[in-house]
Amino acid sequence: MKYVTSIGKKEFMIEIVDEHQVVVDDTPYAVDFDSVSGQPVYSLLLDGQSYESYVYPSEDGWQVLLHGTLYTFTVEDEREKRLRASLGSRIAEWGEYHLKAPMPGLVVALPVTDGQQVEKGDVLLILESMKMQNELKAPRAGTVSRLRVGVGDSVEQRQTLLSVL
Amino acid sequence: MFSKVLIANRGEIAVRIIRACRELGMQTVAVFSDADRQALHVRYADEAYLLGPAPSRESYLRAERIIEIARKSGAGAIHPGYGFLAERADFAQACLDAGLAFIGPKPSSIAAMGDKAVARATVARAGVPVVPGTEGEGSLRDDELLALGPEIGFPLLIKATAGGGGKGMREVHDLQEMPSLLHAARREAEASFGDGNVYLEKLVEGARHIEFQILADTHGNVVHLGERECSLQRRHQKLLEECPSPFINDNEEMRQLMGSVAVRAAQAVGYVNAGTIEFLVDKDKNYYFLEMNTRLQVEHPVTEMATGVDIVKEQIRIARGRQLRYDQESIHLNGWAIECRINAEDPYNNFLPSTGQITHSLLPTGPGVRVDSGVYPGFEISPYYDSLISKLIVWGETRAEAILRMRRSLEEYRIVGVRTNIPFHQNLMDSHRFMGGQFDTRFVEERFSMEAAEEGKSTIPEIAAIIATLVAHQQTQRAAHIIQRGERDTSNWKWISRWERMQR
Repeated sequence: MKYVTSIGKKEFMIEIVDEHQVVVDDTPYAVDFDSVSGQPVYSLLLDGQSYESYVYPSEDGWQVLLHGTLYTFTVEDEREKRLRASLGSRIAEWGEYHLKAPMPGLVVALPVTDGQQVEKGDVLLILESMKMQNELKAPRAGTVSRLRVGVGDSVEQRQTLLSVL
Repeated sequence: MFSKVLIANRGEIAVRIIRACRELGMQTVAVFSDADRQALHVRYADEAYLLGPAPSRESYLRAERIIEIARKSGAGAIHPGYGFLAERADFAQACLDAGLAFIGPKPSSIAAMGDKAVARATVARAGVPVVPGTEGEGSLRDDELLALGPEIGFPLLIKATAGGGGKGMREVHDLQEMPSLLHAARREAEASFGDGNVYLEKLVEGARHIEFQILADTHGNVVHLGERECSLQRRHQKLLEECPSPFINDNEEMRQLMGSVAVRAAQAVGYVNAGTIEFLVDKDKNYYFLEMNTRLQVEHPVTEMATGVDIVKEQIRIARGRQLRYDQESIHLNGWAIECRINAEDPYNNFLPSTGQITHSLLPTGPGVRVDSGVYPGFEISPYYDSLISKLIVWGETRAEAILRMRRSLEEYRIVGVRTNIPFHQNLMDSHRFMGGQFDTRFVEERFSMEAAEEGKSTIPEIAAIIATLVAHQQTQRAAHIIQRGERDTSNWKWISRWERMQR
């Protein structure tokens, strides 16, 4: 299977031939790849060179933490890439944004009101968790709508708090 | 004389204290909240008793209940650790009233030093230099503080009178933003310490945070165990500590001078047990008393590694009325120790706390490495307490060796299930300014970013790309497999057999 794996503008053409061989931009490598006791920690032996890294799925793609550096990749097979090319660019800039609680906690301040215009980076809500007050900020400009929580509410992880249209 | 100790704390510090008790042959009593039934301190202690629901207010801050458990279990002493009830004079007094030894200072010293305004006034009288601020003014109202702000001069700090660890602290750059910051600081102070009082202090720019560990027995002997460098902080939370400080290093004269000032500050309040005098040191090596922490510090292990003194065991001996086993001449700093605080925080996402179950953990080991941890695989990091998972401490003959050893240990350390700030420490270890000892308390926030740190590194994106692709590929294969299996589940044979059963 052939994949296009990209980070920023840089692309790697990676073909997975079988369990023991990959070809990266026309260079073949012998691989031995396994997760360590079923965890998202992976051990890679690449032509005998040993690497270990964490891999997490995220909204932006695959996050790989290797030697103290975090890389975020999108991995697409050729069909997906063609599909996306025909659709045009990402939609995140104009879609609805739903602010979700990144962790359980207590809403200690809500500096915005329903219908308020916000700029990118404005504080939408302050969530207290682990004794720290965490500012949750707007990822882009828009209008605050559907406030679902109030000051003093306890919220669960991933609970939707409000939306920015 | 007591031989059973109740530890009124949780997490790594409770485990640390249990270890000291064990080595001294003492029985241990743990207390825990609903969230900590499975915690390591509960598993390690000889006895353990439930305090109540997870929130601190209903568990670890319930002084009366803790004293009652001590009585019932026959514990003769209480060790408060740090945080929670550690710096509450009323709790220390209540322990004494109940006939229990409090492993810490006298209630009067906690009161004198715990109220930071009183502390500054007290040490100033003893001839110890202090940072300009509203020290000794008592509790002031907002309008009084707003009037005093311009007098002290901006930038300044709002600090919680009962505070510590950066909670209830705000930095103010002008009078306009001061009212809202006062409000926020009071709210946070009230939530963290049950006391909303705050005071103002001039912000010393380019400052280093250097503190001295002292030990004092009940026979009037006081020694200092040298300094700790604690300048690497974020939002006034310490992230990394060293002993000795690269700023003092082999300037033995400065060390002994500051150390004797620290001893004098402790004597000013008739201090007993372990304590820490924090100083701000400016670039011209002027030093100012900042505050005294009347408890065991999170970062005490670096001093233990460099001096060889087991501070927690010394605390217990002092509480048992023993004489200090050391005089000042017998205390020497040997080699170099560094501690990294491993927090459940995502350094790539603005250090947002991360909660969840630790599914896998592999600790660094080998020469010169110590890990003080309160977690294990399967343990749940809850949102109720602070985000400290463990402390990674290394010792080296020189600072250079300690840094290389820390790099090696950080690379070995694996924690899966929650995000940690290990990559932050890795980048810090690679930073030239850190290696050169060129940093102040603003370094992490103002001159250090994860992106910039990673930009300059010789990276291996190709390897990372291969790993990402292999994982994505595995997932695709697995997904396809599940669908195929699903198809088999609804195979024609199954339908026939169901149909046959219906016909019977």
